[in-house]
Amino acid sequence: MATIIPVHVDLPEARPGPSRRRGRGGRTSSAGPLTYLLLIVTTLVSIFPLYWTLVAGSHTNNEIASTPPPFLPSADLFENFALALEQAPIGTAIVNSVIVAGCVTIGTVLCCTLAGFAFAKLKFRGNGFLLALVIGTMMVPTQLAIIPLFILIAKLQWVNELQAVVLPTLVSAFGVFFMRQYLVQALPDELLEAGRVDGASTIRIFWSIVVPIARPAMAVLGMLTFLTAWNDFFWPIIALTTENPTVQVALAGLGTGYVPQRSIIMAGTVLGTLPVLVVFVVLGRQIVGGIMQGAVKG
Amino acid sequence: MATVSFRHATRTYPRTERPAVDALDLDVADGEFLVLVGPSGCGKSTSLRMLAGLEEVDSGAILIGGRDVTDEPPKSRDIAMVFQNYALYPHKTVEANMGFALKLAHVPKAEIARRVSEAAKILDLEPLLQRRPRALSGGQRQRVAMGRAIVRDPQVFLMDEPLSNLDAKLRVQTRTQIAALVQRLGTTTVYVTHDQVEAMTMGDRVAVLKDGVLQQCAAPKTLYDCPVNVFVAGFIGSPAMNILTGQVVDGGVRLGSAVLPVPRDHLVRASGGSGRVTLGFRPEAIELAGPGDGLPVVVTVVEQLGSDAYLYSKLAGESTEDPLNPSDVVIRCDARQAVEPGRTVWLRVRENCLHLFDPATGLRVAS
Repeated sequence: MATIIPVHVDLPEARPGPSRRRGRGGRTSSAGPLTYLLLIVTTLVSIFPLYWTLVAGSHTNNEIASTPPPFLPSADLFENFALALEQAPIGTAIVNSVIVAGCVTIGTVLCCTLAGFAFAKLKFRGNGFLLALVIGTMMVPTQLAIIPLFILIAKLQWVNELQAVVLPTLVSAFGVFFMRQYLVQALPDELLEAGRVDGASTIRIFWSIVVPIARPAMAVLGMLTFLTAWNDFFWPIIALTTENPTVQVALAGLGTGYVPQRSIIMAGTVLGTLPVLVVFVVLGRQIVGGIMQGAVKG
Repeated sequence: MATVSFRHATRTYPRTERPAVDALDLDVADGEFLVLVGPSGCGKSTSLRMLAGLEEVDSGAILIGGRDVTDEPPKSRDIAMVFQNYALYPHKTVEANMGFALKLAHVPKAEIARRVSEAAKILDLEPLLQRRPRALSGGQRQRVAMGRAIVRDPQVFLMDEPLSNLDAKLRVQTRTQIAALVQRLGTTTVYVTHDQVEAMTMGDRVAVLKDGVLQQCAAPKTLYDCPVNVFVAGFIGSPAMNILTGQVVDGGVRLGSAVLPVPRDHLVRASGGSGRVTLGFRPEAIELAGPGDGLPVVVTVVEQLGSDAYLYSKLAGESTEDPLNPSDVVIRCDARQAVEPGRTVWLRVRENCLHLFDPATGLRVAS
C-alpha cells in the first residue's frame, strides 16, 4: 500500500492581491435618457408581435379587423384556446413537438460537442479536410435534399412517424462548427494532457473534463437547436400529416378554410409558443450568460 | 527503483528539419533531482513531454525503472506531472482535483480521502479543499498542482516550469521548499526551467540543452567551475561569464589595445595553431589592479547592489558609444571599490580562474 511520508512544509501564501473595491475601478458612465429611449423602443418593437398574437387570439376576426383594432387581450382568449384545440390536435402536436425538439436538441448537442471536440483537440489525418467538408455542407440548400430524403423515409415506411423528423436533423454542421470554435479557445491543451497523465481515456476526458467546460456553449447550442426544431415547418409538413403533427403542422391546419379564422390561428399560436417561452424564461439568463462568456473570452 | 533513461531519444516535429530533441542520452538515478535547463526552444520541455508520453519519440528509447516505456501511454508510466500553468480542472474542487487520478485508478474512496488529506496537510491545503481553482491565488494553485502529483505516489515527478507563473518573490521562496519537499519524499524528479539560478539552486545535477542537443550534465558546481563549452560557460552564472576572443601574442592574448597575460603552454593547446583563442573568466574572478598593471578597461555602467557592485566596461580602445553593446567585461567588486562611469581600471584574472576554449569549436581546452 502506498504511503505518504508526512513532511510539514510551510509553503508561503501568495501575496494578497489588491483589496477589492466596491463597484468597478475607473470611470463608468450611466446610460443617458436617449439610450433608455432607444432601448425602450427596441424592446417594444421586439415584444409587440408576441403581444399582438395574444391580443388577436383573444378577439374575433371582426374585432381584429375593426378600426381602431383592440390593444388589450380579453377573456375570450380561453374560449379561442378551446376552439383551437377542437379544430386541430394542438395537444398532440405540442407533445410531438416536445419529443421532436427534445430529441433533436439532445442528439445535436451531444453529437456536435463530440465532433467539435474531435475537430478542435484531437490529432488525426484529414482533420482539416473533414472540417472543411462539414462546413461546406452549410452551403447546400436544405431544399435540395428534400426529394431524396422523402424517398428514403418512404422506403423505410417512416412517413407520418416522428423519427422521420428527428433523425435527419440530429446533427448540424453549424453546431459542429460552433462547438469546435468554442472548444479551441475555451479548452486548454494542458487540461487534456493532465487528464491523460492522470490516466483518463479519451472518452473519459470528454465526459469528465470537456463537457463541464463546454456547458455554456452546449446550453446556447441547445437553446438555438430547440428553437429551430420547434419552429421547423418545411420538412415536418412533408414528412408528417395532420394525424400526427408537430405544432407548426397543426397550426397550418388551423389556417385552412374559405375564411381563415385568424383569432383561432393566433390562439393556437399562443398555445404552441408557450413551451418555448417557459424554456426561455427558465434558462434565459444562463443562455445569455453563456453567449456573453463566449464573447468576452473571444 | 525509479531510474530514468533517455537512450538516443529524438523528436522531430512535422515539417521541420532540425530535431527538437536530438539523440538525447541522459540517465537519472533513483531519487535524483535532475534539472533540464536551457534557452527557449532548446528542447527541454519536449524532452520532459517525451518522458511523460505526451510527445512521440521518433527514434531511440525512454526507460523508467529499467522498463522501456517508449510506446506506452502516460497512464502506464507511473508518473505524475506538474504543468507550467498547473492545469487544474476548473469545475472540480481542490479535493476532487487531487483525487481524480486515484478515482480513475479505482482506488477505494476511503483510501482516496486519506491520501488527499495527508497531502493537503503537507501542503497546508486543508482549509481550501472545497474551493474551486478560480477562488485560489497563484501560489495556492501551484500547491494544489503539487498535491495532485504527490497523492499518486508515482515513481517519477515531472515538473514543467512550475514556478514561472509566480511573482519573483514567491518564486524565490517556493523553489527551496519544493526542493526540500521532493528530497524528503525521495522521489526521482525531472524538473524543467529556463532560469539558470533555479537550476543551480534546486538540482542535484543540471542538464544544459541547446538546440535539442545535450551540452553538459553535471552537478551545479561542476557546471559553474568547469563548463564544457562556451555556451554552458555563458549560460550558467549570473552575470554571465566574460567570454572574449583574442589574438595570441607574445606573453598572452591581445584584447583590445592591451594584452592579458596567459601561460604559453595553455595558449598553444587552446589556439591549435590558429593564432586565436577564446578566453572566459567570471566577474568574481577579476581583481582590480593598479594603473598599468593588467588589462585596461573603461567603465561604462555601474550597478550598485549594496555589498557588491558590478562594473560593466569596454576594452580600452573599443567604442563605448554603442547602446546595444555596452560592455565587453563585467567585473564584480566590493562596493567601496566601484568607480564612476568613464574611468579606466586595470584588471587581472585570479590564478586558475581563466577558462580557455577553442575558438573554432567552442569546446573547453584548459583552465
